[in-house]
Amino acid sequence: MAMTAATAEAASADRSAKKMPDRTFWLLAPGVIWMVLFLVVPILMMVYVSFWTQTTFAITPTLTTKSWMTFFSSDTYLSALWTTIRIWLIVLAATLIVGYPAALFVGLFVRNKTLQTVLLVLCVIPFWTSFLIRVLAWRPMLGKEGAINLILQGVGLINRPIEVLLFSELSVIIGMTQIYCVFMVGPIAFMMGRIDQSVIEAAQDLGAGFWRIFRTIILPLSMPGVVVGAIFVSVMVLGEFATSAALSGRKVNLLGNIIVTQVGSLKWAFAAVAGVILTILMGIVVAALLRVVDLRKEL
Amino acid sequence: MQANGTKLALGIYTALFLVFLYGPMVVLAILSFQTGPEGGPQFPIIEWSIYWYKHLFGMTPPTRIAPLPIEEALVRSLILAVMTMIVSTVLGVTSAQAFRKKFTGSGFAFYLIVLGMMVPGVLVGLGMALIANALGIDRHWWGTTFVLHVVYTYPFAFLVMLAILNRFDQSVEEASWSLGVSPVKTFRKVTFPLIFPGVLSAMLFAFTLSYDEFSRTLFASGRDLTLPLAIYGTFSVEVHPNVFAFGVLTTLFSFALLGTYAALMMLSIRRARRVAIQEEA
Repeated sequence: MAMTAATAEAASADRSAKKMPDRTFWLLAPGVIWMVLFLVVPILMMVYVSFWTQTTFAITPTLTTKSWMTFFSSDTYLSALWTTIRIWLIVLAATLIVGYPAALFVGLFVRNKTLQTVLLVLCVIPFWTSFLIRVLAWRPMLGKEGAINLILQGVGLINRPIEVLLFSELSVIIGMTQIYCVFMVGPIAFMMGRIDQSVIEAAQDLGAGFWRIFRTIILPLSMPGVVVGAIFVSVMVLGEFATSAALSGRKVNLLGNIIVTQVGSLKWAFAAVAGVILTILMGIVVAALLRVVDLRKEL
Repeated sequence: MQANGTKLALGIYTALFLVFLYGPMVVLAILSFQTGPEGGPQFPIIEWSIYWYKHLFGMTPPTRIAPLPIEEALVRSLILAVMTMIVSTVLGVTSAQAFRKKFTGSGFAFYLIVLGMMVPGVLVGLGMALIANALGIDRHWWGTTFVLHVVYTYPFAFLVMLAILNRFDQSVEEASWSLGVSPVKTFRKVTFPLIFPGVLSAMLFAFTLSYDEFSRTLFASGRDLTLPLAIYGTFSVEVHPNVFAFGVLTTLFSFALLGTYAALMMLSIRRARRVAIQEEA
């Protein structure tokens, strides 16, 4: 398969070189070669190794489907696959619900350009803190003696700390939603900013109420932003393992966590199987989302 | 829009959204001033102190709490980020330059490059580790990790440059060519100064993404830890406020970086404006 990709690339590069006697080929070649060598080849290697024979202490390049059978007959692996899909869908919905109103406000209601930029920058600033620190920052928030419980008790809303907040699936979802929602807000706010204000004014002049304007104009025109945001969030959540490791106390195992544990115990073939399944899952999700919107046109 | 009630409600919502974004970080920053070494990573603050900051720099008497191995990790992460920044920016500029002409297979090349930021890090990292195993190559932060960081940051640099070049007025270049200036000199004297703000953004992207990159790094680096790996190491053990203090310091460092970027950006824009005025005069 590596061969096919390489020859196809060479062929297309050949044709373009013939068409234009300029430097396009030389400008493009370094990047393309880098990506083939260090992105395509490793992924193909993963597919290949998933068929290797795994014994307790070693792995040999004798092809077998045993690791695949083990994966699909094991409750641990299958439940990890399920958890991954479930958490991905929940976080995707959560980032959309949490992020959309904020994007709507920043992108459409704030007409002052300076204030708009300030608000967008405010949304991005947390990203200059290390990802792992941001994950870790949820621990003193959610714990039994954490900030949220202290505040809720102080206000008198609860009289016993909510324990399910930390080391549960909920904590993973809360953490991921906060970390990834900006990837949803950004593209949506960008699309909102592009909406021609006069279209909305025209609708108002014709007597349309806010909800009608929202349903028939704003929502459809912001959809490309939602899709781009969904691609970002999906790709990142599907490959996650650090947030669940830090916030679930090993209770939530995603496919990413399975890969990390298997690599840790040198079970390369099982790790590769989980990796291939994750790749396929991600491929389906991204391909489906890309059918809705052409990424190149949105630039 | 006239819906004033809606606007107010959405404004309040956005304020709450910002609290949600910043809350954990604020709490973490407060707790980093917990007293040490017996103070824990939770409320209440027993006594305010900068003990954990001193602990980071090894200025406290030794306790059972191990110091974070940040010194060497920091140097490695910085070198790695600079290497990644240079290579991915160069690749990003050259390939975006190639995309200015239509060519066969451009769709294929586009998605191949963009794939680099799409594929989850843990997968590329695993693939790289498998290859290193099969070929008997040692994994190092400056080798196997470095190439993966470029795979990740180069697409960002590429997209930034593509967006800049899409809005680029080609006639200035054509004027330069028709006056007999060589393409290389045209690029250096005309094109590059005009796209410089984009290059700066691409560099910032590449640097910060690499500096913070973790999932690709985990499998691809060998024994020597980078900064994110050092932090990840604390996940498995008990968390102490020294990690929080460290989080505050890295955040401040990033802001310094952001400030430098903003200053450079302002300078380059002002210079471009000055050149424009001179030409008019």
